Amino acid sequence: MSIDAGLDTGPPIDKLRLMPFLRKWLQLSIIALVPSISALAEEQKSPDKPLSPDELKSAVSIDALTVPTPGEFFKAIEKGGKPNWTSEYRPPVSIKSTDRAQMALNLGTLIADGYIAVEAQDGQQVKNIGKDVLALAKKLSVSQTVLARGASITQFAENNAWDQLNEELEATQNEVKKALEENRDVDLITLVSVGGWIRGTEVVTGLVMQNYDADNAKLLRQPALVAFLKDKLTRLPDRLQKDPLVQRLVHELDDIQKMVSFAADHVPTVEEVKELNTASAKLTKEIAVSE
Amino acid sequence: MNRLALVVVANCLFAIQWCIAEAETDEQVAARSDAIDFAGAFQNDGFKIRDGTYFGKISKDHSAVVAVNLYNGNAYWFTASTAEKAEKLKISVFDEAGMPVSYEPFQSGTRAAAGFSPEASGLYYVKVALEDGPPATFCLIYSYK
Repeated sequence: MSIDAGLDTGPPIDKLRLMPFLRKWLQLSIIALVPSISALAEEQKSPDKPLSPDELKSAVSIDALTVPTPGEFFKAIEKGGKPNWTSEYRPPVSIKSTDRAQMALNLGTLIADGYIAVEAQDGQQVKNIGKDVLALAKKLSVSQTVLARGASITQFAENNAWDQLNEELEATQNEVKKALEENRDVDLITLVSVGGWIRGTEVVTGLVMQNYDADNAKLLRQPALVAFLKDKLTRLPDRLQKDPLVQRLVHELDDIQKMVSFAADHVPTVEEVKELNTASAKLTKEIAVSE
Repeated sequence: MNRLALVVVANCLFAIQWCIAEAETDEQVAARSDAIDFAGAFQNDGFKIRDGTYFGKISKDHSAVVAVNLYNGNAYWFTASTAEKAEKLKISVFDEAGMPVSYEPFQSGTRAAAGFSPEASGLYYVKVALEDGPPATFCLIYSYK
């Protein structure tokens, strides 16, 4: 038995003859497989078809999900480090006006103030703002429903339960909106949301200016949100449309909309942030000033 | 006098109709309860559940699309549930032009979720679709951190 006895040396010439065919077959298989593999990879990357024009047209926008809370806005800016929240406090607002539109707008700004105090982890400030919110809710005849919330806010503030306070503030805002709806004051709901967004924008732009950072500056891109709020304002009944404060609001939101409508890859400059801060701060002041 | 009675009856009918329209159905209550229960898993990871909800009806031929405004830097989980009826629910996320974006999908029968971290602030669309099963009422909520 030779050394080669166990090896299959039978038809070496045939194997060699098959090699080019095998190689060709393999090459063709690989060529055929490449597009399928890349198609599969593409499919895994984006398995969904784009929305159809009908789907885009029928997309639902609702206050409870389409309008972010000030807390959500503030959470985003904390990613770059703890901002100096107390620097964004403002003096207590005294509402003597009986203008319901103004009261609703102020309620929105006050709730945003509550979020600032929570972010600053300032229990006393949270309690103070909670009282102001309740006083204003009383003027709008929705205090009964938010009384319990007011008590919870005080309790959570005393226990330094900041996460729960964040949730409680949103729940309070929703309770107020629900009560307004029940009192057939649906139109004021939009004004509460607008007030909150304006004050939130003033605060975030103020913080971005203190410590300019590109990622934080990009937070200010909200064209669809302002368009949504403006659209709701234009649908208000005539009596509210004629309110001088609402008229100023609509007019000034036009300018603000331009400032927050920039391309997704654009980073607002310090000057642009300052311009938006000035506009939103002016509007917050106008909302707070009694006629 | 008759006119007054007619006005009173009309007002009562309006009030009853308004109450019926506003009241949540059993399906909605169950769907919301299950969606919140499901989103609770993300709470353990530091996500805060928003207090707002959206109820809709979907079938295999009809999906629902909701517009949301998100912030870059935040992470989001969109959670939906139909409670019992649906067999295969799906959530997907799209940018402001309606183009699909990269997100983390989760699907488990009557429940579905999508995790998304936007690179740009602005408008996004969340689509809730029913891939299998009879038409159902769903509840959509979202959480962020």
